[in-house]
Amino acid sequence: MLRRLYEFGYLFKEYFILAFFVVLSIALLTLNDTPQIRMIRSITVMSAGVLQDVFGAIPNYFDLRGENQVLRELNLSLADEVSRLREARLENLRLRQLLSLKERAQFAYVAANVIGKNLQLLRNTVTLDVGEADGVVAMMPVVTDNGLVGKVVATSGHYAVAQLLFNEDIRVSAKIERSRVDGIIRWEGGNRLLLTNVAKTLDVQAGDVVITSEYSSMFPPGIRVGVVFSAHPLEGSLFQIVEVAPGVDFPHLEEAFVLMAVPDSARIALERRFRE
Amino acid sequence: MRQTTVDALLTLFVLVVQTTLLRYMALGGLTPDLALLWIVYLAIRRGQIPATVAGFCAGVALDLLSGDDGMLGLGALAKTVGGFIAGYFYSENKVLQTLSSYRFILTLLLVATVHNLIYFTIFLQGSEVSWWGAVFFYGIPSALYTAALGLIPMFAFARRALS
Repeated sequence: MLRRLYEFGYLFKEYFILAFFVVLSIALLTLNDTPQIRMIRSITVMSAGVLQDVFGAIPNYFDLRGENQVLRELNLSLADEVSRLREARLENLRLRQLLSLKERAQFAYVAANVIGKNLQLLRNTVTLDVGEADGVVAMMPVVTDNGLVGKVVATSGHYAVAQLLFNEDIRVSAKIERSRVDGIIRWEGGNRLLLTNVAKTLDVQAGDVVITSEYSSMFPPGIRVGVVFSAHPLEGSLFQIVEVAPGVDFPHLEEAFVLMAVPDSARIALERRFRE
Repeated sequence: MRQTTVDALLTLFVLVVQTTLLRYMALGGLTPDLALLWIVYLAIRRGQIPATVAGFCAGVALDLLSGDDGMLGLGALAKTVGGFIAGYFYSENKVLQTLSSYRFILTLLLVATVHNLIYFTIFLQGSEVSWWGAVFFYGIPSALYTAALGLIPMFAFARRALS
């Protein structure tokens, strides 16, 4: 009997092995957020980070000259803008004091190099060379001078993985800077983002700047997301389709900053309690 | 045993290349799936079981590197099935013929397409992203890019077969 069972198993061993690994994969899919899996993920991110750090040293010499020129010009215009903004800030402070308004929180930044990119099938993530040792934890926003990049989703001692805005899981509460129209940023593939839940009657125009809104429990308000590319009414609906060109050039992202801001847990808990 | 160790080390090497250097080959936000190419090669060279096991291991490793997106096991599932399907094209006496001919590319294209279909079917559950759109704009181009990368080993083996 045992011999027959063994022979049967041996005859169909490929199918048994397939079934075993398929069941194991499905089990992993259902047991995603256990502490053990988080630990394994952290070790994997750390190991891959070390390797990506080594290979990330391969520089791209071809674009350096052009980039240098662009940076010089940008530096000049930014220096001019900074002096004007300094004046505006002083004026803003004076006016806020007059109105007794609460000062917005200031966050520290941690500079990071992008040492790895995972552009596999809509799971767009980048690996950064900063981690828990630098104070970086999951859910912190990642930005560049051009705007919002995404959020940190996994960390190890010296490395972090960040989910990009070009990721179908990301949702960002955002608004049009000019007309203060609110919506939700999401990505449905392609090179543009969508600002959804915007009624047809609201004022949105191509060229409008989109920033994160105060309604976001994940990202601080005022971070630039991108610029409205087009806005047109959605047939048979009360809403309009607003396409947003992201400010960040994701395919060429090399440096980023992690904003040392964690979501306000008290606010999230209160909102969750209210929903329930 | 020695062969298994060599295969395991080469799988690790492929994963390192996939996660470090392949970003330089990104076209329109898509990169070829080098791990899948290796799994198909392994299936044709060694058979169904090594390819299935390698598919699972490579898939888990890449899933772990994708961060906490609740999809650990998805890549493993897709690559396990990919390795298993590729194993059907294993023929002990025709390894070099298969690797050096268009059959290798067709196998790779078939496996990459099935892999991507499984992947998107699960990944997009509960999502508002169109399944057809994802398959059309990401799944098929990505499979074609992976198959195009397969031309390099195919030509290398064709050269070896000629000599």
